[in-house]
Amino acid sequence: MGVFRGIFDMTNFQSSLVQFAYYGAYFLLALPAAFITSRYGYKVGVLTGLGLAAVGGVLFVPASKALVYGFFLLALFTLAAGLSILETSANPFVIALGSEETATQRLNLAQAFNPVGANVGVLMGAILILPGLTSEASKTIMSPDELLQSQEADLSLVLNPYLGIAAVLVIIWLLIAFRKIPILEQPKGDAVPVGNVATRLWHNRHYRYGVVAQFFNVAAQTCTWTFTILYAQDVVGISEKNSGWFLQASLIVFLIARFVMVWLLGIFRPTKLLLIMAVFGVACCLIAMFSLNIVGLIAVVAISAALSLMFPTIYGVALSGLGEDAKFGAAGLVMAILGGALLPMVHALVMDVGSPALGYVVPGVCLAFVAAYALFDLRTSRDPKPSATSAVVQ
Amino acid sequence: MRGNFRRMGAPKWALVGLSMVLMAGFAGCTPDDQEPVTIGLITKQENNPYWVTMRRVAEDVAKSEGVTLLTATGTSDTDIDSEVNAIEAMVDEGVDGILIAGTDSKGVVPAIEAARAKGITVIAVDTPVDPLSAVDAFYATDNKRAGEMVGQYAAAKAKELGLEPQVAILDLAPGISSGELRREGFLAGFGIADDDPVIVGSTDTSGDRELGKVAMVQLLAQTPGINVVYTVNEPVALGAVEALKDAGVDLGGVVVVSVDGGCEAIKTAVRPGDIDATAQQYPQNMARKGVTAIADEVRGGEKPSGYLDTGVELITGDPAPGVTSRDVAFGIRNCWGG
Repeated sequence: MGVFRGIFDMTNFQSSLVQFAYYGAYFLLALPAAFITSRYGYKVGVLTGLGLAAVGGVLFVPASKALVYGFFLLALFTLAAGLSILETSANPFVIALGSEETATQRLNLAQAFNPVGANVGVLMGAILILPGLTSEASKTIMSPDELLQSQEADLSLVLNPYLGIAAVLVIIWLLIAFRKIPILEQPKGDAVPVGNVATRLWHNRHYRYGVVAQFFNVAAQTCTWTFTILYAQDVVGISEKNSGWFLQASLIVFLIARFVMVWLLGIFRPTKLLLIMAVFGVACCLIAMFSLNIVGLIAVVAISAALSLMFPTIYGVALSGLGEDAKFGAAGLVMAILGGALLPMVHALVMDVGSPALGYVVPGVCLAFVAAYALFDLRTSRDPKPSATSAVVQ
Repeated sequence: MRGNFRRMGAPKWALVGLSMVLMAGFAGCTPDDQEPVTIGLITKQENNPYWVTMRRVAEDVAKSEGVTLLTATGTSDTDIDSEVNAIEAMVDEGVDGILIAGTDSKGVVPAIEAARAKGITVIAVDTPVDPLSAVDAFYATDNKRAGEMVGQYAAAKAKELGLEPQVAILDLAPGISSGELRREGFLAGFGIADDDPVIVGSTDTSGDRELGKVAMVQLLAQTPGINVVYTVNEPVALGAVEALKDAGVDLGGVVVVSVDGGCEAIKTAVRPGDIDATAQQYPQNMARKGVTAIADEVRGGEKPSGYLDTGVELITGDPAPGVTSRDVAFGIRNCWGG
């Protein structure tokens, strides 16, 4: 987002449309993806996702020639749409690839690559993109022709990784398309009337508020990570070359904290730990808002520790005791990703109208909602009372 | 067997494909064979973050351009001997070009002329030499434009606040061109002449924070109603703000403007609004353009010549109507001495 802001000289709000396009596509394509998978099977779903994502990557080529921001948003939307279908299809695909006994193991193994991929992506950005961008200071004395050249040069830096991603996706597409993969038959459960499920879920406050909490959790996570680099640059004055390392640090903190949280979840009740970490996250946001220096930046990085347990914990708490309804209920929790599409725009607007640091009021409020959900769960008994609440690994 | 080969073959084929993608991605990282270039950079001192930023950017650009950079610095803004010695040492080292911010406009000229006589290109950065023809080129801030920007801002802001301007001018010192040009620009931007009655006081501060504070205290004692303060640089502005606060003046009713764009002032005074606006200059551009100009010349490009404006932007957290400015976040991203 920061890269596009610099290249196109936009406001924070305009550049936040990057996240809107990305998470919006994820949200919009979740149900069509489920339809494709159920109608045509997992393999078609995976291939559709891979293919669409590859097309999105290739669309960056004409977008960089046209030098139109909207074109980049379209490319990004297409890429994310593909990834949404891919993720929706791939998880049950992985489960169906072998026996039910080892399904969780396979899924955990597959999911373990997510944070690794995120770290590698940010690392590549910090090494290959950010240091090579034209500095804003040098743009102040450029002629219109020179500015155009610098835009093209900067966009080519952004373009190369996306082309690389498209190429890798095409290779994986070919690998899957031309291999016969044995899929175990799906166990058929008793059909549950959808209308009844929806009504039951709606009347379950732990679930209903859980979806709301998940919406705000994803929003807080997206806001925090989207604006870390901008906070480093705009508030603390860290150079473009070095600012990427703070996002890298956030992801590493997130990764380490997740393992620590898994251990702590064995000691504390999940919602108690959720409450503590959400309050910690709110405190970090307040520090980020009012300590306009390296301490504020460290607080921004520390928010990731608070975020690390939230998605799987809310997921587990909200679905606890739902029985067969959990399958349908999980879709609502996944669609809460919409928070990641909408709230970063609010964060950016606060930055534009107020100040870059003030923007962290948005993830702060989001985390306060998560804390409120944890408190609600702690103070409200369920009927029937769940024997134990389990957290799942995202 | 055939089936096994195909199963083994697919991942290998994928690996080859991935390797090709990665190799294509990194192909641009291989440096070209370029003519070797050695450049010397001489700054005034290392205590001022302005010069440290200039050196650091020159080092970064030299690295990316494949240039060998030699650096030297004086001990103060008046240390001529160190600079002259540095020029001579660099000539002995066989540099292709020298970038110099002279501590004395005339004192460094003989050494520069000797270097140019040996075919070395010399670019004055930030500070001009006298005569200017003693160097091949001069890369610096347009100080008059910088003053003009803050003058226009101060006039528009005073009008917006409904103030009857009572202007205090905290200047540099007589005979220093950068200070004189900034003052000239401020007056033009504000739309007044040197003898306009709205100027209630004008004092030299040598660009020093403490002297700026003392000067402001004295001017306030003479005219307590001062509501527009022009300062030649940010240390002086910080001193003036301190004096205004000590005197219990409501800064909301006083327009304070300055020139520089250093990180300390932007973060601690422009961001909270104590300094209303500052004209940010870019030593980064002086270093960047200087290194690339000499490298280009050695590698077959044109010889650097004439004056290059290295840019100036008005930074404020409280824009004035009709005056183009950049926000504080821009100022922080591009400030020097962070």
